[in-house]
Amino acid sequence: MSRFLARRLLLTVPVLFFVSVIVFAIIALIPGDPARIMLGEEASREALAGLRKEMGLDRPLTVRYVIWVGHVLKGDLGRSVRDGRPVLETMLQKIPVTAELAATSLVVAWAIAIPMGALAAWKRRTVVDYAATTVALAGISIPNFWLGIMLIYLLAVNYRLLPPSGYVEPWIDLSRNLRLMVMPSIVLGTALAALVMRLLRSSLIEILATDYIRTARAKGLGDRGVLLRHAMKNAMIPVATIMGLQLGGLLGGAVITETIFAVPGIGRLALEAILTRDYPMVQGVVLFAAIAVVLVNVFVDLVYAALDPRIRLEEAG
Amino acid sequence: MKRVAVLVLIAILALTAATFAAPRRGGTLRVGLNADPPNMDPHQSTAAVDRQVFQNLYDKLVDINKDLEIVPMLATSWTIGEGGRVYTFRLRPNIVFHDGTPFNAEAVKANFDRMMDRSFNSPRFSEINLVSAVQVVDPLTVRITLQKPYSPFLSILADRAGMMVSPQAAQRLGRNMAREPVGTGPYKFVEKRPQERIVLERFDRHWDSAAGNAQQIVYRPFTDENARLANLRAGELDIIDAVAPAEVPKLKTDPVLKLSEIVGLEWQGMWIQVESGIFANKALRQALNAAIDRRTLVRVVFAETAVPANGPFPPGMFTNSITANSRIPERNLDLARQKLREGGQPNGFAFTLKVSPGRIPQQVAQVIQSMAADVGIRINIEIVEFGALLSQLDAHKFDAALLGWSGRPDPDANIYGFFVTGGGLNNSAYANSKVDTMLDAARILTTQDQRRRAYTDVMNALNEDLPYLFLWWPKNYKVYSPKLQGFVHVPDGMMRFRHVWLSP
Repeated sequence: MSRFLARRLLLTVPVLFFVSVIVFAIIALIPGDPARIMLGEEASREALAGLRKEMGLDRPLTVRYVIWVGHVLKGDLGRSVRDGRPVLETMLQKIPVTAELAATSLVVAWAIAIPMGALAAWKRRTVVDYAATTVALAGISIPNFWLGIMLIYLLAVNYRLLPPSGYVEPWIDLSRNLRLMVMPSIVLGTALAALVMRLLRSSLIEILATDYIRTARAKGLGDRGVLLRHAMKNAMIPVATIMGLQLGGLLGGAVITETIFAVPGIGRLALEAILTRDYPMVQGVVLFAAIAVVLVNVFVDLVYAALDPRIRLEEAG
Repeated sequence: MKRVAVLVLIAILALTAATFAAPRRGGTLRVGLNADPPNMDPHQSTAAVDRQVFQNLYDKLVDINKDLEIVPMLATSWTIGEGGRVYTFRLRPNIVFHDGTPFNAEAVKANFDRMMDRSFNSPRFSEINLVSAVQVVDPLTVRITLQKPYSPFLSILADRAGMMVSPQAAQRLGRNMAREPVGTGPYKFVEKRPQERIVLERFDRHWDSAAGNAQQIVYRPFTDENARLANLRAGELDIIDAVAPAEVPKLKTDPVLKLSEIVGLEWQGMWIQVESGIFANKALRQALNAAIDRRTLVRVVFAETAVPANGPFPPGMFTNSITANSRIPERNLDLARQKLREGGQPNGFAFTLKVSPGRIPQQVAQVIQSMAADVGIRINIEIVEFGALLSQLDAHKFDAALLGWSGRPDPDANIYGFFVTGGGLNNSAYANSKVDTMLDAARILTTQDQRRRAYTDVMNALNEDLPYLFLWWPKNYKVYSPKLQGFVHVPDGMMRFRHVWLSP
């Protein structure tokens, strides 16, 4: 197992190198002068030249890349050109917020998807199945921003059940923190739930038709036992894969969801940084996102191995 | 009958009490901004949204009122001498900064030294680079000498360049003043969490005992305009800045929320690059201008949220009454065809109109496109990312482009740099020595009448030469809950909260 882990981790090094090159290149190649955007329409020519020099924009691209990577390896992501704070400091403030949102969204997604997926597969081709599939389709099709605004109007403005948006740290006011997380988690969670549900349904249907399930039934196991003890574990393998791949989507969805619900997380930070050409911040956030996706996929591989001994054995052999 | 009379009397008393109620102290004023203010130091700030917070955190030497007149703030009076070169300010006594440092003439000098220190690289430097000396006459008198007369100087001091920071804190913090601001304003800084909130608290030692009714002000950024309005409706905010134009008709008849609407200081329209390319031919610029129907354009795209424009001076500015600025030209297709013939393109011509992404610029471009097509002028609309658009305008690499200006209270800042030869914001590469002379003259002349006359000459030339087609003046909106009392909407769009209060 440890050899498997070491190999997987080693493979991430070239991936991260390419990611760093791409992150840097894309940002450097975006049209528009960052100094111009930062200083605005009113800036004088000398102020622009001064800022370009200060930001190192007058140097060749490759030199800028090498300097940047050198600093990153030392754990220095630079300072935001917008407010002068260290990039890492701001990011460390934002990451827990998005992590909480991602976690609550996953809870929402699982709470919806697993029972619904299992039920749809079990009651295949019945009204229950069609209803669940329709709901899933709606979940995928409804855009985040629309669902978000509708929820705010319904639950916060009309019925005043929940605060409309914002964020409070859990250690300051846990109940308000959770109340604030409800709507953003629903928005992010439903889209994911729809995907997971459909996947779980089809993979369960496939598994329920296999020989070992028939054997289990022949042993006299009841419906519950067959479904929970034998079928579910195997059906979860593709679901785990999708969950890992969806982390990137979750971060992308967080950009919109956090903007609508004024959640001060990493998604909003990324958006603001891009709009204001805060280069060091954009590079920091994108690098973080890339590392997060890579590491989560390593983690998913490990979960895989735990779920399916064959994967472990293949690697060892 | 008697009971009715008593009831009527009570009702009248209640109404009068509500109308003339004394400002109430206490409470937290919650404000929704359209962006997160990045920098809390007025001498480093470049983002417009910073200025919203500054209004309450800092005092300025002078301020402007809702009629755009200069009024006292930290300076109680001033004299202008030596033909407009020397400004002598009398300062208000017994003022302290939030850190206890006294405010006096020395502090004013220290602030100017800070803005003019080249190594500090302050964006304010270009605003005050005419200052040649700042002299402490006595503890409450400061004299500022300019290299040459500059009549808009006081209006510059009514904005970020006139905001005074504590010299002691500036010494200690340097550039970190951006994160720990210290001013003299009615509210002092408590905390700032990026993209989350800025908290200010009442400063008990402020010189104006009538200021600072709310105990706290909390600013929260909402980049999504629907979310901003929804939070106001849900009672989580007391006032918001800017609303989507589509919401305006509904808000006008809203039974609860109050909508405040004024024409701001902003102008919008089309830059035309006159140095090279198709539009170096003046007759073709005039042909395009004659083909545009400004009233229809505004009605179609903005409904009632903007007014048609023909110059850089919106209503409210003393220069607005200049005929060439305020008279909206009628569409005249015969004139357009005649100008096309004069320009040697009787069958029309084609050009590219660059616009930034977004619904409004694209709609404006499409309306103009169809109007111009009536005389054979073919417009290719090209959508260019905002940063790239600014760079292309700087480099004069375009035929025509839609971009405006957020506006300033003094007319000079709405016209000078855009049309003076070689000006930093002169995107069209326009050069006209007569315009230069009159623009410079308007800076030296001191009375409004004299300045209006100089700008009349400039506007007549701009109407003839058309380096820019002024098309519309946007309106400025604030929406607030009925709890907020005493709010005065100043055309610069900055929300001044020192004298507002919250009813229970």
